[in-house]
Amino acid sequence: MTRAGVIAVVICAVAAIVAPFFLKPFGIFLISTWVVLTIAAIGLNLTLGYAGQISLAQGAFVGIGAYTVALLTPLGVPFFVAFLAAGLLCFAIGWVLGYPALRVQHHYLAFVTLAFTTLVFLVLRNEEWLTNGIYGITGTARPALFGWKTGGARDFYFLCLGMLALLSFATWWMLRSPWGRAFIALRENPIRALSLGLDTRRYTLMAFAIGSSLGGLSGALYAPLVQFIEPNSFALGLSLNLLLMVIVGGSGYFFGPFVGALVAVLLPEWLRVTHGYYLIVYATAIMIMMPFCPSGLLGLAERAGRALAGSRALKKTSMHTEGAGP
Amino acid sequence: MNAVLEVSNLRKTFGGITAVDGVSFDVRDGEILGIIGPNGSGKSTLFNCVLGQLQPTAGEVRIDGKPTTGMRPCDLNRLGVSRTFQLLQVFPQLSVRDNLILAGQEHQGSMASRLFGRTDAGLGDAASQMIEFFRLSHLVGEQAGSLSYGQQKLLDAAMAFMAGPRLVLLDEPAGGVNLTMLSNLRERLQAYHAERKATFVVIEHQMEFVMALCTRVLVLAEGRIIAEGAPQEIRRNPVVIEAYLGH
Repeated sequence: MTRAGVIAVVICAVAAIVAPFFLKPFGIFLISTWVVLTIAAIGLNLTLGYAGQISLAQGAFVGIGAYTVALLTPLGVPFFVAFLAAGLLCFAIGWVLGYPALRVQHHYLAFVTLAFTTLVFLVLRNEEWLTNGIYGITGTARPALFGWKTGGARDFYFLCLGMLALLSFATWWMLRSPWGRAFIALRENPIRALSLGLDTRRYTLMAFAIGSSLGGLSGALYAPLVQFIEPNSFALGLSLNLLLMVIVGGSGYFFGPFVGALVAVLLPEWLRVTHGYYLIVYATAIMIMMPFCPSGLLGLAERAGRALAGSRALKKTSMHTEGAGP
Repeated sequence: MNAVLEVSNLRKTFGGITAVDGVSFDVRDGEILGIIGPNGSGKSTLFNCVLGQLQPTAGEVRIDGKPTTGMRPCDLNRLGVSRTFQLLQVFPQLSVRDNLILAGQEHQGSMASRLFGRTDAGLGDAASQMIEFFRLSHLVGEQAGSLSYGQQKLLDAAMAFMAGPRLVLLDEPAGGVNLTMLSNLRERLQAYHAERKATFVVIEHQMEFVMALCTRVLVLAEGRIIAEGAPQEIRRNPVVIEAYLGH
């Protein structure tokens, strides 16, 4: 990462820490939603952005994670055990969902994952004995950590932020290891990767499982954040929104999901000043953005940075040439 | 001399079309075998069957005496078999150095140890040496996709050698490469062969390249071997002239 990039990350981290002290409860709820959905978007970015496997199932994994915590904690299971269980359950289901990706790709795979999302939605809605159906589940308790109670909005935000930091670090570690290189190889040229000894089958399943697991962990924080979960929250709309976050932020860029989630969570709220037109303005902004920067906002920033560096180098060269002239 | 690769009665059909029709040959330890033949003669299909990309309809493949028919390409690679493809197959978004590390990393430790171990999988020095050997040092940090076609061909070949393979199958390494780069590539392949005593099988259309590089040549036509021998014999063989060289 460049020096400018490190400075930008440090400034954003400081802003994320001080922001809740200047915000009202609804503002804190919004940035908490950003943090929680960023975790799910990081998972999808791993599956789609790095490993190149399209998935429209990430919202379903958020749902599975949310219901796991909402169902286990009232039974007396400690929150952090339920949190881990949500991650492990989604890892296992994600691994199984990865199998179709070994046979089909692109839009075919999109339809497989879309069908999975529909299936999860139907289970959440129809299996009332387990999920309470359309009435949903309320009041998932916020946990305490070594005596620190996170019942308040600000405390829970910091818990979520800490989890985001931890999971981001783990993902960064994985992506900087040979696994990260293998995931990129899987996206760019699976046939060549296979011929170089990469077990593409195992890496594909791993990309799906880890990405899904992050979706589950995000859901495990989502339930205590919103305090009311019901099946519609985890229908296709959420999966598409998470996909939008990854694409808008910059698919395959480590910080893409952070930026994308910020846009997808905060922009609709900021656009509420336009009253009934906010969805129209939001949709138009996205439609204009996509053709001009398909690599997302971070791709645009990278291009701008390169152009700036190029023009600086050109200026330096021309000054040098002028200085050396007759 | 021991046979590194043994192919027996290999056959591959696609519907009613027979692409490879009962081909048998051995590749001896340390030799450079050339396979030539007109377009559609079954050369690449033969490679793909040997290397697990395609399942042969019949026949057997052995590497160092061990049956490997139908084995997955990644498992064959771990047995020391490496390849290049007819079309360029580098990873354009990765740097030259990362392309080379990637080409060797799966031979280092287990999947778990690669997750917790060094970023370069302990291959930093080996990658630097390979980059130097293929004279790509000035491009080490460049994205592979930004390299010229000839430079990418060199990188493609370097990747095939990164894991120190026992047997390398090169599918049209000279295709689309200009004369200067071609002589550079041939000279690097010869130097690698002399240094490491690796065994090569080369599919190529560029006759001068084959004649200068290979110690023995097989000629394929319509899925069958029609001639075999030293390069100079092949050049004079009337069957080959009729079927392939056309002059």
